[in-house]
Amino acid sequence: MSRAGNADGGDSPRDDRELLRRYHEQGDVSAREQLVQRHLPLVRSLARRYANRGEPLDDIEQVGAIGLLKAIERFEPGREVSLATYAAPTVVGEIKRHFRDKGWAIRVPRTLQELHARMSSTIDGLTSRLGRSPSIAEIAAALETTPEQVLEALEVGTVYTTLSLNVRPGDDEEGDPLDVIGSPDTEFERSEDRAALAPALGRLASRERSILRMRFEDGLPQTQIAERVGLSQMHVSRLIRQSLATMRDELV
Amino acid sequence: MSERIGLEAPLDAAFGPVVRLIVAGIAERADLSFEDLDDLQLAIERLFAEAGSQGRVRLAFEVGPRRIRTRVGPLAEASLAAAMQAPASAPGSLTLGRVLSTVVDSYGGEVRDEGDIVVRREKLGGTT
Repeated sequence: MSRAGNADGGDSPRDDRELLRRYHEQGDVSAREQLVQRHLPLVRSLARRYANRGEPLDDIEQVGAIGLLKAIERFEPGREVSLATYAAPTVVGEIKRHFRDKGWAIRVPRTLQELHARMSSTIDGLTSRLGRSPSIAEIAAALETTPEQVLEALEVGTVYTTLSLNVRPGDDEEGDPLDVIGSPDTEFERSEDRAALAPALGRLASRERSILRMRFEDGLPQTQIAERVGLSQMHVSRLIRQSLATMRDELV
Repeated sequence: MSERIGLEAPLDAAFGPVVRLIVAGIAERADLSFEDLDDLQLAIERLFAEAGSQGRVRLAFEVGPRRIRTRVGPLAEASLAAAMQAPASAPGSLTLGRVLSTVVDSYGGEVRDEGDIVVRREKLGGTT
């Protein structure tokens, strides 16, 4: 984890302790300001993990900085851990709370949540049975609901993406079956023609890189990709969207 | 027989879900499959992502049986214009042009005054 540099030459936990002592015992707010400046890179690093979830990165960093201030406030000088170690979970907690509060504002009705939960297996089942991607009307009929409800429930998936704070591209509840097909990625990255995107691709897990290659290089439809990697179509769709957003942010 | 639908929206991430839901509703009326609908949403999502976060954009839909023609613009972002004018990207180069050429059946850009660009796309149903 990155550590902050500092303005006065030192960068050790011992320097932090001296600043903490000055702040807590003498009320020296300039010492607190130095602590904040020293650990802002840590906040930025943690905030970047929560980018692409519908909130501007600047806002997430500001929320993280509030977490840092709380950590400085609560840190007891007698603790054996460094300030950075102590502050990290507080910063992350503050960011997660921010997203949860936002999530509450756009809380999804339970009926839509339940419909969304049934959607993925229904789409995959219909695709298998029909031999093609089903229409919205067919999905609605299978779920005994209206097409409008289906569309709203599909949109719920993007809300969940925003609120699923522990899931990054590459981490997923359905496991990582594509870890077993690493060799095409090597070829993918080797080509000189593809070098331009290498830094952005490098941020993606091997599964995401493989899915993007199958979709945009080989031109496979989602249904076939889903079959190959053992995920649902909705899950493949979600990973493609997340990966493209991540890559774009990396290149900007 | 086709229907025309117009929409003007802010280029603001907060309105992304609204636009996406409207696009989904229109795609459903055209009887596009789940996958085709998802492709169309992705195309518009990526276009918006490249277009910045300020200003407004107009979307015009021409909806026929299993077919949607969409016009999006004007979009002033220089990088977007460059991406649209160079759709034949190198293999493996995951540009906006490559994404669009994968998820819609045809697309193109019309450069307007002062570098603004209007993007036309057509999505046909029938992906298997």
